[in-house]
This record gives sequence, structure tokens and C-alpha cells, in this order.
Amino acid sequence: MKKAKASTLSRRKLIVGAGAFGGLLLTGCDSDIYTPPQMRGGIMGVADVLTMATQRLLLSGGQLVQEHELHEITKNFPVWNQSNPEDEEYQRLKHGGYEDWQLPISGLVNRPISLSLADLKHFPQRTQITSHICEQGWSAIAQWTGAPLLQVLEAAGGIMPTARYVVIQAYGGFYEGYDMFDVAHPQTILAYGMNGKDLPSGNGAPVRLRVERHCGYKQLKFIKSIQVVSSMADFGRGTGGTNSDFNFHWYAGA
Amino acid sequence: MNSKPGLQSPNNWIYRHSYNVRICHWVNVLSCGYLLASGIMIFLQFPELYWGKVGFQGYDAVFKLSDWGLSWEEADALGNRLWGRNYHFLFAWIFLINGLIYLTWNLWKKSFYQKMLPRREELGFNNLKTELASHLRLCAPRGEAARNYNVLQKISYLVVIFILFPFMLVSGFAQMPAFTAISPELIDLFGGRQTARTLHVVCTLLLVLFVIVHLVEICVAGAVNKIRSMITGSYALPAEEDK
Repeated sequence: MKKAKASTLSRRKLIVGAGAFGGLLLTGCDSDIYTPPQMRGGIMGVADVLTMATQRLLLSGGQLVQEHELHEITKNFPVWNQSNPEDEEYQRLKHGGYEDWQLPISGLVNRPISLSLADLKHFPQRTQITSHICEQGWSAIAQWTGAPLLQVLEAAGGIMPTARYVVIQAYGGFYEGYDMFDVAHPQTILAYGMNGKDLPSGNGAPVRLRVERHCGYKQLKFIKSIQVVSSMADFGRGTGGTNSDFNFHWYAGA
Repeated sequence: MNSKPGLQSPNNWIYRHSYNVRICHWVNVLSCGYLLASGIMIFLQFPELYWGKVGFQGYDAVFKLSDWGLSWEEADALGNRLWGRNYHFLFAWIFLINGLIYLTWNLWKKSFYQKMLPRREELGFNNLKTELASHLRLCAPRGEAARNYNVLQKISYLVVIFILFPFMLVSGFAQMPAFTAISPELIDLFGGRQTARTLHVVCTLLLVLFVIVHLVEICVAGAVNKIRSMITGSYALPAEEDK
């Protein structure tokens, strides 16, 4: 009896160990998932790391965020901030019904590719009804349909061992970096559908990111390109995203 | 009012607050001050409150600052959520760590049990009535009665330390996106993050009310003596028939 218990425990340890090792391989360096790409100076940086490390520890089981029922979907989901980037290329693509939209995936992937909207829709689909939580205080519920980001990266031959961040650029000038902890999450999807229809322009057409577990400002709209990189230093001010360049928290779990 | 009652009878000095209580008290004052200020700066840039899981501009609100004479645009111009968010989370950590040190120390030293837990006879209806009446007449206890916390004081400290402060933390967690994965049950317990946000503000108002009463009581009982005791630890017992 005692022996059986011991073996159950060790099996559990084995599974946990394997999971941790998998996470280690995926992130390249274990400590990565506890710190932002660039630490802020002084005590503010300490608080950032405390928040990120605590939440990442609590999230280390890879739990999914809560998904809601169909009837809970918010009517009149807000259109916030950018609703129609003035970018010339974006306007051209929009008028063509995004037929010519292409998503290049480059950087530290084994086989750089470029995907059309139709290509993206051929990936295994994931649909989730989740809360969109704005850092300003509002929240609303919508159904998002899209392709899991990790699978899209795998279609580009998978990421190289030196890869640490995925940088997504958007029409309208925003960019945002995501670490592998978020990239690998099953609910992190390139969403092209909202509430059963094509993603509306105001909510980021043709494709936006859903990276649940974060505030709204991480859910980049109007996606233009994807790069896999080893460092965020060469982007913007090097903090890891447009919002953190403006001194908002890079890690937006709150 | 005699603000230095102890000077006439030097024998009545007592040691009232331990090092731990004094340091934690002032760290708490600093962090709660920043938390309030930064919270207001965040709120001003979204000055509406909702009930349930969903809420946004145009959705049914339970509170709108614009109904109270400050339009959305005016409030937005006064607020600064970039500063607010950064300092709110920084001081939330200081508040939490300080609170844990305070709780651990004083549980270990049995201070809550010895100093704050009301004794059974104190909780009698007549005693509560007398205490309340003397509070309302702004009569501070003197002599031996001033040696210990009075029953209303005990109850209000216990409520703040064990109910309102933890509630602020938990209702704060329930608003964080990460908690949709860490503990959706917590958010459901509130009935949605918008309810948690609204109650976070209500609880803030209760704490502000506590601070106002706390400050009034300190002035009534002798501000210099009270504040000195929270800095040096020494408290001069007000003489019995000083009036």
C-alpha cells in the first residue's frame, strides 16, 4: 500500500517535471517568464517583477481563462481607440475586402512563410467566448474565432531555440512583444471571427490577437506581420511594446 | 482641552505601541495614501461604475460621476491613469507585504487577542450604548479607562484589519485579467468583475470614513499625545479628574 502511494507520487513528480522541462525548452531560459524584456529602474521595476513572477507562478498550470455562455455575449461590444487606421496600405486592403492581405512570419523560424486570410482559416479553428478587460476599467464579452498562434508558428517550420519573443506589428503603428509563455497558451489565437461573423473593422479587421490573461492593450488589432526574435532591444524604445514604451506595464495580467 | 496631560503626572506614562505596530502603522499610512490618490487618478479616467460581468461607456451604470456635476471629459482631464496604475500596483505590494508582517508579528505576540478582541462583558447592550453615547458626545476616556482600547475602537480596528483591508485586496484581484485563469471562481463569487470594481470603490469609501473618524477621535483624545505614542511608543495616560 505504502509502495503504491510512493509510485503515484513519483509519477506525478515525473509529469510535473516533464511539464517544467517542456516549458524550459520552449522558453529557452526558465527565468524569462518571470521578468519583462526590459526591467524598469528602481522600486517600480521590483514591483513589476513581483507582480509578473507571482502571477506566472499561479498560472504555471497552464489554466485556461474562463469561457462564457453564448447568451452572455455583449451586444454593442465597444469600439475603443483605433477603429480604422489611416494607413494607406490598410485602406487599400480594406477596400479589397482583405483579399490581398498577407501575414508574413519571419525571424527565428525555420521556414519563413506568408499567409493569406484564407490560409489562416485553414488552420484548426478555435472558438472561445471570453471577457475583454480594458485597463481603464471596462469589460465586455465576445466570441472569438481564430487560429492558435503556436500552430501558425509551427507551420513556419517551428521556432528556433534562441527565440524568446514574438513581435506583432499592426497597421496604425502599434507593435507588441509576447513571450513564449503566452504564445504557447492554447487560448492565444489570431482571431479573424467575432460573434460568428468576420471580425469587424472597429475591432481589428482582418485579424487581431487574443492573448487572454492580459488587459485589452495587449490584444493587438489590425495585424500586419509577425516576427520571432531573441531580443526586444531593437524595437521602439526596447521595452517590448508600444504601451510599455509609454511606461505602461509590459506584463498586463495587472 | 489639555494637550499635555502627562506632564503634570510623569508617573502615568505607559508603553502603548510596540516597534512593529508603529513602523507598520506609518508604512500603512503612506501606502494607503498613495493607493487612494492613485486609485482616484485611475477612476477619473473611467468615472462610471457598473454591476455584473460587463460594463462600458453607454452600458447601464450604477454610478456616473457626470450625474454629480463632473463631465466625462472634465474628469478625464483631471485623472492620470498611467501614473495611477504604476503607483497603485507598487503601493499595493508595499501594503500587502507590510500587512503580512504586521499580521504575523501581532498574531505571534497575541496582540490581537490581548488588545483588540472585545471581552464578553464589553459586548453587553448597555455597555455598547454607553460607549456610543460617550463617543457621540466626544468624551475621551481618562485614567485607567484610557489604558486599553475601548470596545468600539476594538471592533472598528478588527473590522478594518480583518474585513475591509482583505476585501480591498480580493476585490482588486477579481479585476485582474490573470485571475480569469488563476481563479474564475473568485470573480464569480462577486458576480462579475464590474461588481468587484464597484465594491472596491464602496470599500474605499468605508475606509475613508474610518480614517475621518479615526482622526477626529485622535483630536478629541489629544492629538499630540496620540501621535507621539505612535512615534515613540510612550503614551501619557490622561489624569482621572483633569477637567
